[in-house]
Amino acid sequence: MKRRHLIAGLAGLGIGAANPVLAQPRPRSGEKPFRIYMALFRGWEDCAQGFKDYFVNQGIPVELIVRDAGQDKSKLAGFVAEAKEMKVDLVFTWGTTVTQEMLGPWDKPDPARHITDIPAVFAIVSQPVGAKVVPDLVSSRRNVTGTTYLVPLETQMALIQSYRPFSVLGMVYNPLEPASRITIDELTALGRQLDFRLEAVPVDVADGKPQPTSIPAKVAEVKAAGALFLYIPPDTFINVNRDVLTGAALEAGLPSFAAAENPVVNSKAMFGAVCRYYPVGQLTAYKAEQILVQKRAPADIPIDAPKRMAIMINMPVVRALGFYPPMNLLGLSEVIDPESRP
Amino acid sequence: MKLDSSRSLLIRLFALAVLVLVTPLSILSLRALGEFEQGMVPELDKKAAAIGRDVAGQVSRALGYGIPVDRLVGVDEFFSPMLEANPEIRYLAITDPVGRVKFINGVDRDELEPHYRSADMNAVGADGVKSSIGAYMDLALPLTAGQTVAGHVHVGFDQNHIATRLSDILADVAVVIVSSLIIAFEILLFVVFVNVTGPLKLLRDLVNRAGHGDFTHVPTSGSDDEVGRFLRAVQGTLRQLDGRYRQLMAYVDEVRSGHFDKGVVAKVGDVADRINFLYRFSPSGKPEPMVERRATDIRLALFLFVFAEELSRSFMPLFAGRLASSVPNVPIDLVMALPIALFMAAIAIASPLAGQLAERVGPRRLFLIGAVPATIGSLMTAASFGMFDLILWRTLTGFGYAMATMACQSYISHAVKSDRRAQGLGVYVAAVLTAGIGGNALGGVIADRIGLRPTFVVSAILVVLAAMLVSRLLSSADPAPGEDQPRPPGGRHLLRLLRNWRFTVLMVFAAVPAKMALTGYLFFLVPVTLSQQGWEVAEIARIMVLYPLVMVAVSPLAARLADGLGWRAGQVAVGGLIGGVGLLAPLLLGGGPLSIVVSITALGVSHGMSASPQLALLPDLCWTECRRLGNTRVLGFSRFVERLGSVAGPILAALFIPLWGMSGAVAGLGVVVLSMAVVFAIASAAYGSGPHIETEEDPA
Repeated sequence: MKRRHLIAGLAGLGIGAANPVLAQPRPRSGEKPFRIYMALFRGWEDCAQGFKDYFVNQGIPVELIVRDAGQDKSKLAGFVAEAKEMKVDLVFTWGTTVTQEMLGPWDKPDPARHITDIPAVFAIVSQPVGAKVVPDLVSSRRNVTGTTYLVPLETQMALIQSYRPFSVLGMVYNPLEPASRITIDELTALGRQLDFRLEAVPVDVADGKPQPTSIPAKVAEVKAAGALFLYIPPDTFINVNRDVLTGAALEAGLPSFAAAENPVVNSKAMFGAVCRYYPVGQLTAYKAEQILVQKRAPADIPIDAPKRMAIMINMPVVRALGFYPPMNLLGLSEVIDPESRP
Repeated sequence: MKLDSSRSLLIRLFALAVLVLVTPLSILSLRALGEFEQGMVPELDKKAAAIGRDVAGQVSRALGYGIPVDRLVGVDEFFSPMLEANPEIRYLAITDPVGRVKFINGVDRDELEPHYRSADMNAVGADGVKSSIGAYMDLALPLTAGQTVAGHVHVGFDQNHIATRLSDILADVAVVIVSSLIIAFEILLFVVFVNVTGPLKLLRDLVNRAGHGDFTHVPTSGSDDEVGRFLRAVQGTLRQLDGRYRQLMAYVDEVRSGHFDKGVVAKVGDVADRINFLYRFSPSGKPEPMVERRATDIRLALFLFVFAEELSRSFMPLFAGRLASSVPNVPIDLVMALPIALFMAAIAIASPLAGQLAERVGPRRLFLIGAVPATIGSLMTAASFGMFDLILWRTLTGFGYAMATMACQSYISHAVKSDRRAQGLGVYVAAVLTAGIGGNALGGVIADRIGLRPTFVVSAILVVLAAMLVSRLLSSADPAPGEDQPRPPGGRHLLRLLRNWRFTVLMVFAAVPAKMALTGYLFFLVPVTLSQQGWEVAEIARIMVLYPLVMVAVSPLAARLADGLGWRAGQVAVGGLIGGVGLLAPLLLGGGPLSIVVSITALGVSHGMSASPQLALLPDLCWTECRRLGNTRVLGFSRFVERLGSVAGPILAALFIPLWGMSGAVAGLGVVVLSMAVVFAIASAAYGSGPHIETEEDPA
């Protein structure tokens, strides 16, 4: 019974996605378009497209000045200068690096090096608090707002529960990464609520560096502690070593859930959930509209993620584990299966 | 119910009404049902196919990803919302290629597996195969994994679904027709009595009087039809006659005072005396209009009023249950029971007061006063948002109900004071019973069609109609208020009645448990139980109507039996035992609808058997008290005591539910009722030794 509600809730998240765009006043046509400076890092992709499409669909005239750093961090200082010189109405930053470089830390931005007077929206920043872009998600306390793209932790847990109810959740993490600590605290609190125990094991550190070679042993340790699932946080170290981690989990017969796309799509995590980039772009554009059209202060607009998410199931891993997803979850999921037959 | 002299006319009119109402309604309904059936079969097929394709598609996708058919996960959770949303689908199943049932929801796998094993499933094409398995229509669709058939999905329909739906609709139509007939009958009765037989009876009385030389009264001018014109013609003639008489007397006086011849004066005086001896004329100087109150005057208004209250009978506890979420810390069962209990309590408390008020302000005004809280109560019930205000509005309605019904009783008892009282009581009981049958049954249908809350608005409208009727019709017929009757001794003396052990035993062990069973079981547990078993309000109402129907059937027989045997206490005892045993039926028969039908029937038999002997027993058992306090007051007090049972019934039942569950609560109530009936049966055996007096008149 409990599980069915849960699935129903998930379905609600997927289908009833709040597209918060209806019934907004449309500016009169013939008005001067808003000029938006878009600083990208890996070229034009779905998030940028969603951002642009939102304005087109809403009939808001915008002039987009698109700049791509091509993953070159050094170009970003030039972008800041150009945006200031062009006196654009709004700056859009893509990804954690661009956002950190162009907007600076929330507590001491440098007016010389960072965008301060021009309002800005950021997108594709997984942990804006950890990256020091904002102090918390309610308000940036400055001329900035934006979106994240991680599925809320509670929803992630509900998803795992809907795959199979569990009482122990395993996690292998990098102890040098402060964000990991935050995740552990939140998961522990959620565990009290949802009645599970978190078994978090840090990887070994040598010479001030986390040791990827210690990962398989840690996974085995988690498995031995009775974990039914391995939780893979969105963490740089983990992302880099995802093949080692997910491979070890598969070896140990431990199903894994990832809060990021890569471990599932490009590695051997069993399943995961992320927000798709396109709706992230739309939501970011919606926040831009609130600033430009409705003249709301960016500090008054909370930072959040779209309600719509993508659940991904890595079918070869599922088959290897013989641990099959329930019908309802399967119906909601995108299945990654290179040897797909249907 | 006595229709006396108008009987044949009424029967003919009623037959006409049946013809006029039932024939076109039946033809229309049957044609509509035919259309409905024709439209429904292909709809069901389409629905089965759509659901089957959806399920087969999703399962095939899963199989395509390499999940073996017997290792699918969460199939129950996958199937059950579909079954819940589509009650006509009885099961969903997945079988493997050889027909073994791997997953099934809705029915037991043993019911289907033999069939699947024996059927040639390889023949199932992409469009599926329909086959009939027992009561089900099975649609099988293939499941594919890549190119191979990995099994089948089965969608099972209830073959009787259409028949069930049709019979439901048919039953609703029948209820509407019967209720319309009851209403038509009440209106006919009203029209005939008020416009035809009533005035004619009045004329008969006048003509009889005139035949005896009594010309003191003229009929009041009637309606504007033949009867009314006839009435006015007689009125004119009588007035003329009266005028002639006055002229003659004036002439006599003139002769007496002006004539000198004593002999002539004496002769004229003789003639005048002789005329005054033989004929009587009104001493006031002109003939007085004759007013006659008849019990039937108020019958339609009473019918409408009770009808209005009965509309919500079948769903009152369910309505309360829906509002119950607003009350923390109070068990839900009690929440559902309280509105009924407090409605009854309001009636119990208000009735004696209303009775006194009726003497002071007259029945007409009392009815109109009572209609105000009843209307407000019903309207606000429709708008209530929580338990507390619901209880408030129900209590208010109860006060109104007490006032209106006491007004009718008072009116009837005044109207038939000189006449036969039993007949007047018959009018009252008949109106309440027919309203109970029609109102409850129709209320269920209305509630299913337009919702529970709007039904209360309908109630309020009916109450207003009843009040309008009373206001227009009784305007001239109200008795003068303050009719001075010797005020009988009050409350403390009534309590002394309880020292009469026979009275007390009759009340506590016969009257109170009977009411407890009525309100606790029929009004409360029956709707709650049936609703939990998934029955619609209209169906619940139809089952509940069994009670008054059985009672109507049994009562006359029981009355004849009582008159024939003179064994009233025994009848009350047997009736009580039947009722108590009937409530144990759910325990013996398993709590299903059949057991409920049995126990409701038993309750109807029980009350039909014991109600009137119980009333008739009162003057027997406490004739000294009746003489001192008056029959009416003794009866009023007994009503008050038995209404305490009405209050206790639902509360007791609600307290039993958390202890023993639904069927257990019914049985628990049954045990209470039965043991009280046993006590009464034993005690009543001792009734024989004691002072007796024949009933002088029927209590009313």
